[in-house]
Amino acid sequence: MADRLTIEITDLRKRYGAVDALCGLTFGVPAGSIYGFLGRNGAGKTTAIKILLGMTRPDAGEVRVFGLAATNESASLDIRRRIAFVSEEKDLYDYMTVDEIIRFTSSFYPSWRGDLAARYRRTFDLPADRKVKALSRGTRTKLALLLSLCRGAELLILDEPTSGLDPAVSEEALQALVSYVDSVETTVFFSSHQIAEVDQIADHVTIIDKGSAIVQGALDDVRERYRRVQLVFDGDAPVVAFRAPGVVRVRREHRMLTVVSSAGADEIVNEARALNPASVTVSPLTLKDIFLDTVTKEN
Amino acid sequence: MLWHKAWLETRWRFLIGMALLFIMACSVVLTYHTVQQLMPLASSVSRQGGALGRLVGEAAAIESTYRGYVWWQWFRQNLCQAWVLFALLLGTGGLTLQGTRGGALYTLSLPVSRTRLLAVRASTGLAELAVLAFIPSGVITVLSPVIAQSYGVGDVLVHGVCLFLAGSVVFCLTVFLSTHFADAWTPALLTLIVVVVLAAAEFVAPALAPYGLFRTMSGESYLLHGTLPWAGLIVSVMVSAVLLLAADRNLRARDF
Repeated sequence: MADRLTIEITDLRKRYGAVDALCGLTFGVPAGSIYGFLGRNGAGKTTAIKILLGMTRPDAGEVRVFGLAATNESASLDIRRRIAFVSEEKDLYDYMTVDEIIRFTSSFYPSWRGDLAARYRRTFDLPADRKVKALSRGTRTKLALLLSLCRGAELLILDEPTSGLDPAVSEEALQALVSYVDSVETTVFFSSHQIAEVDQIADHVTIIDKGSAIVQGALDDVRERYRRVQLVFDGDAPVVAFRAPGVVRVRREHRMLTVVSSAGADEIVNEARALNPASVTVSPLTLKDIFLDTVTKEN
Repeated sequence: MLWHKAWLETRWRFLIGMALLFIMACSVVLTYHTVQQLMPLASSVSRQGGALGRLVGEAAAIESTYRGYVWWQWFRQNLCQAWVLFALLLGTGGLTLQGTRGGALYTLSLPVSRTRLLAVRASTGLAELAVLAFIPSGVITVLSPVIAQSYGVGDVLVHGVCLFLAGSVVFCLTVFLSTHFADAWTPALLTLIVVVVLAAAEFVAPALAPYGLFRTMSGESYLLHGTLPWAGLIVSVMVSAVLLLAADRNLRARDF
């Protein structure tokens, strides 16, 4: 199952006026994965998601969801029958009550899980007769989650699902998501700028910056590949251009030279030995370190 | 359920229009005798000549019968103007506006084409406008016996059809402009400007009258000659259809 791609994005480009929102974005989301789409605010995450959903047209590139071209109008309809989406702003219809919007949404999905909806309504303590506009942001997020989880969707697309929530509600929402994914066979693609959130639930990740993917792969592989090599010298650290592949960043501070690599540490360590450092330390990187090192480097 | 959603989004505008037109229809019937008592005054004004005198004289001549009075006061003035206002108000809104106020992304994520979304919204608005064109006018038929007069259902239907078919241009123009602008007021204001220009053109250039929007909406030729304003109706329907097609094209091409 992991070989099959639910989402395939190839060389995707989108420009708004003078601003390049996406510049050759390329990655694939394996079926059955929980895929974190990580990037700073304005990195291009929402634009990519809108293109996946047929809300925005790309200037160039190819987007396939379930093997169907997302840019084709009729294919986009088929795609939307099989997916659920939660937007960053949790945009729902203010003038409907909780019950009305549940009934409204259920009418579009033959595989709607009424039992699940009733269960989530109790769990999330959603007031049936209250208008959406009267709900707090946290409650609206829970309602948006209910509306997406009960569709029987093969793919959940969540744009910053916990944005603006307090830690308790955020945790509740993530737990609901994780337990849902445990119980049904589905792919989750969620964007976030919160690294801890991606670290907590994702098994695959793409880090996007300025419209391009700068890190991608299975989270364990990414953690395995990225290494920090710290070289300490007796005198000032030399200025070096490493030839080893995968050098993401080199930082020189007084006696210390820090190298971040995306291709393991062995070749860098071998190359560094020739510089006669006093000590060599290799340490793994957390996702947060990887994010900061790759994104900061780009900026 | 899309129909229900469209109804929820427009129901207050529609219900306020219904209530207002109902009150206006009642007042047209109930003020008939008072207006008739003022007719000698109108005759003296018309004798003074000038554009105003001619207009007052024309009104007095037509309003000498109850049928003429209802047409002049209701179908030519009160209903025509108020209905246009509500056509304009019911035409505003939709996905482009929701894009700035929330809800649009949720709608667009549903397995529904933009064409269908627009069709449902336009059909709901047109259905509400049809009700506004016929039902308050029906009140005149029902209420007329109270003042010992009668007004035929046939006249209500013919004038209602003229008002609805020709006036739909105003609604469709607002719908079209609403796919361009992300606020509610710009489409409404632009439509209002177009309506005022069209009304002025009819007044200034009588040669345009057979195709004039307001002449067609009021069904003047039916009152005076017993014939429907076919040319105006056909042109209006065609313009409305083109505007809706253009709105669909706009909406489908739009990025959200």
